[in-house]
Amino acid sequence: MKSFFRMSYPYILWIAVFIVAPMFMILLYALTRTGNSTLTFQFTLDNFARFLREPTFLRVLWTSLRVALLTTVFCILIGYPAALFIAGLPERRQTMMVLLLTLPMWINMLLKTYAWRGILLNFDFASETKVFIGMVYDFLPYMIIQIHTSISKMNPDLKTAAYDLGANKWVTFKRVTLPLSIPGIISGITLVFLPAVSSFVIPKLLGGGDYVLIGNLIEIYFLTAGDWNFGSAISLIMALIIIASMWATKKLDRNAQEE
Amino acid sequence: MKKMMAAVLTLVMLLTVCVPFAAADGVLNVYNWGEYIDKQVITNFEKEFGVRVNYSLFSSNEEMYTKLLSGASYDVLVPSDYMIERLLKENMLQPLDRSTVDNLGNLCEGVQNLSYDPDNTWSVPYLWQTVGIVYDTTKIDPEKIEEAGWDIFLDPEYAGHTYMYDSERDAFMVAFKALGYSCNTEDETEIQAAYEWLIKMDEAVKPSYVTDEVIDSMANGEKWMALVYSGDAAYILSENEDMGYCTPKQGTNIAVDAMVIPANASNPEMANQFIRYITEYDNAVMISEEVGYASANAEALAELSGEGGTYEGNAAYIPRAGYEQDEMFHDNETLKKTLSELWIKVKLHE
Repeated sequence: MKSFFRMSYPYILWIAVFIVAPMFMILLYALTRTGNSTLTFQFTLDNFARFLREPTFLRVLWTSLRVALLTTVFCILIGYPAALFIAGLPERRQTMMVLLLTLPMWINMLLKTYAWRGILLNFDFASETKVFIGMVYDFLPYMIIQIHTSISKMNPDLKTAAYDLGANKWVTFKRVTLPLSIPGIISGITLVFLPAVSSFVIPKLLGGGDYVLIGNLIEIYFLTAGDWNFGSAISLIMALIIIASMWATKKLDRNAQEE
Repeated sequence: MKKMMAAVLTLVMLLTVCVPFAAADGVLNVYNWGEYIDKQVITNFEKEFGVRVNYSLFSSNEEMYTKLLSGASYDVLVPSDYMIERLLKENMLQPLDRSTVDNLGNLCEGVQNLSYDPDNTWSVPYLWQTVGIVYDTTKIDPEKIEEAGWDIFLDPEYAGHTYMYDSERDAFMVAFKALGYSCNTEDETEIQAAYEWLIKMDEAVKPSYVTDEVIDSMANGEKWMALVYSGDAAYILSENEDMGYCTPKQGTNIAVDAMVIPANASNPEMANQFIRYITEYDNAVMISEEVGYASANAEALAELSGEGGTYEGNAAYIPRAGYEQDEMFHDNETLKKTLSELWIKVKLHE
């Protein structure tokens, strides 16, 4: 056991340098402002207050959450039947289908988004619709694969038993398949909602200049406005929301398992 | 067989690791804007001087500056005027070797004696531009637009037919100039007035906020008018003969991108050679012809706009010079911060 623990040292070093240290830097930036030449920075909560006081920023936050939520819901609505269908196929064809599903993920996301931009140029959709289409397209495979894994893991005898006990197809699905696939849905939600809420390439390329999500706002403050303190504060608010939603899904997961 | 493969793979890996080091002596790191050079010029330079040019691209002065601050080392940079001002303020440049770069007698009117570096101690202008309006002459009367200047952006007749460039500096420059202020103003009431002007603009013409995609879209005639840089306008006009170009009478921004050598350059000698090479007539012509932006070399400018030149009769190719109300941007980070926050509010205004 002890020797195994030693093997994780490189990994611990890795997170310390590349994850924990940058997080602390963001925290430091978010909690400070540039001072004068003697006192190079001062601690302050102004950055957060500035965000919460400005209706424009709050609207951006709300739009980001709304789009991410909508994307997640649609991914479940499209992804669940697809996963159910794939899980019902003979094993060899299942492998093939999963492969086909992951195929687009081999292509760089930027490239795919540019392709969508070309396609959507011909349609007179609202910016939000375009961004939404791009996000559902990009994140759908994550949802399908998660749900498919949890369905195909299920013991087929359970379904046979349900039929034996007089349940029809619908009741079997409602009482057996669906509850057992909830962990898959939940990890699918984590894999779709989190990247969707912080995505900035898709809104930038598909939404146009007047469509700003929270990820774009952070980019603007770091690259254009050069205000790293405020940019960090927004990142931190973002991180808090993400942690909260992860905690919520974890809790859902636990409740589902207890049932 | 397997051993053979392993040996070959190891060799390949070793080579890929070693090559950059082995050639480090003959490498020149150039950092320039995207789509801003004729690649042939670089190839020719590499052949003539026996160096490998490591050519990387940035899309904004701020991106370049951030990269530089993070410790990256380059030999030649091509930032804009106000950014050179900042780099000088922060001692991040080294003077040119004027015994190598000795061919600056040919700078055209408009890029001589620039305030940030009047005697070209630190920088040599590369390409330059003004900001203006490209418009579809079949939809908008040229006389009308010359008369209105920037105020054409307040005309609801063009609602839904307008592109606005998505950059706080350029958009606010339009508003400042339309109101008769300096584009470097720090006066709060003037900034507030410009903000309100842009809100009015947003409501009146309901523009699409775009960046480089404006070039292809206007060349295809997708909208009636757009705020563009003169260099991009020159390209649009050469692609689509219905398009016209107007440099508004209220004055505009003149921007110069110039070559500089950072203080931490590892190959300054070759950097000076490179700058000299780029300034030579033939190369100046090739570059300006390829990208459409005005050359800083007077002869090249005359050649390309003169009889038989690529940009003969192109209204956008030569930027307006010597007009009193035209101004350059100055480095002002506080102003930039204020404007970028206001700009987000303009774009997201309901």
